[in-house]
Amino acid sequence: MNVYIKNILRFCIIIMLQVLILNKITLRWWNEPNGFPIFIPYVYPLFVLLLPFETPVWALLFLGFITGLTVDSFMNTAGMHAFATVLIAYLRTNVLNALLPRNLSEYAGQNPSIKNMGWMPFLVYSLFLILLHHLMYFSIELWSVSNIGFLLLKVAASAVTSMLFIIVYLLLFTRQGSFRG
Amino acid sequence: MRNFIFFIRRFFNLILFLGLEIVCVILIEHTNTMQGNDIISSANTVSGIIYKKQSDVVYYFGLRRMNDSLIDENAMLRKKLDLAHSSVDTLKDSLVHAKIAPLDTTSHIVRYADYVYRTARVINNSTNASDNYITINRGSSDGIYKGLAVISGTGIVGRIEHVSAHFSSLLSILSTKLKVSAKLKGGTNGFVVWDEKSPDILTLVDVPQQVTVKKGDTVYTNNYSLYFPPDVMIGTVIKTEIIKKNAMQLILLRSSTNFHSLQYVYVVENKMAGEKKQLEDSSAKK
Repeated sequence: MNVYIKNILRFCIIIMLQVLILNKITLRWWNEPNGFPIFIPYVYPLFVLLLPFETPVWALLFLGFITGLTVDSFMNTAGMHAFATVLIAYLRTNVLNALLPRNLSEYAGQNPSIKNMGWMPFLVYSLFLILLHHLMYFSIELWSVSNIGFLLLKVAASAVTSMLFIIVYLLLFTRQGSFRG
Repeated sequence: MRNFIFFIRRFFNLILFLGLEIVCVILIEHTNTMQGNDIISSANTVSGIIYKKQSDVVYYFGLRRMNDSLIDENAMLRKKLDLAHSSVDTLKDSLVHAKIAPLDTTSHIVRYADYVYRTARVINNSTNASDNYITINRGSSDGIYKGLAVISGTGIVGRIEHVSAHFSSLLSILSTKLKVSAKLKGGTNGFVVWDEKSPDILTLVDVPQQVTVKKGDTVYTNNYSLYFPPDVMIGTVIKTEIIKKNAMQLILLRSSTNFHSLQYVYVVENKMAGEKKQLEDSSAKK
């Protein structure tokens, strides 16, 4: 399948998954009335994480911006998601360079995936960027350092849950065989 | 000049990155100052239509619960209506009995508030952010504008924030930006705010220490609000704390509206709000 069509389809699937399903379920790790923060997992940064290796940085930035703005327009957060997503889109290339054994240009026509990178490097790559994204997003959302424990708790809980959903997504949507999803 | 072009080419990515981040910051700031950017909100047409489609599907699963809540509300309204009809007839012994019966009595009655209720269906809802928004399927073509109050059958919901032609999104009371004046049973006034923690718990602040508040007391909106009609239920008291610093009480309320399963709301327009606001603004200026 053409790489453009594939990524456009993936964009639609991930945004729909985020907006129509994940945004509707509110999670809480234990049920105490006003102790632990409620949160929802954010899976949409996965779109930026899964773009092909040779995507130029400017394209990554624009795609990250568009993804963020789309989610913003659904969630009435005007720019907050876009800010966090542009940040991880910018840092993606550096993280990949640090994690991969060979130069990025040698991976022509491939996506970052568990199959191409191995479990551990891929999990480190996605966990690092997801944590960064969540930290950025929740800092902007709460916009205060007065209860930093609450912020960190929310970031950690949300990031771990997002990672679980990302792994489930990858296991579901990666086809075995010649097609690399 | 060549150096400049070289510089741009070398740091193009960094410049683009910073540029996009600045755009984001401008967008965020623009919304936070409440100037209202309606393009990037769920009131815009694309998100509105997608949320509408989703709501059409999910709608049927909630019909039974909705019927129950409508029946409850009908029963409550009937009770109120009966009370209104069976009030004491003070005109009975009056001598001017006959004179107070012209057909167009409306011109003689002076009202300080005149409420119009419009029904709307909730097509998107959130309870987990710091500022929660709800999207409804009514917009400016149905006479809705920014600032109108929104209530449900069981209590207050929020205030209209963004409006497009057929959709609008409202800031629910589960938001750090909204503050509603409220009164306790005895008539003490305070403000209801939300502390961002649980979507079922609201906080009533600015109540003096000496006022006795019992668990289970009901809190209603008061007459001071420009947009909210008086005597709409907000919640019931579950816990009180005394803040020694300013001798005030902090009262935790269980919200009477269930924000998890909101389906129909009423948008309330006060026809006299404009006049009242104008007067209050002009006196505030002096």
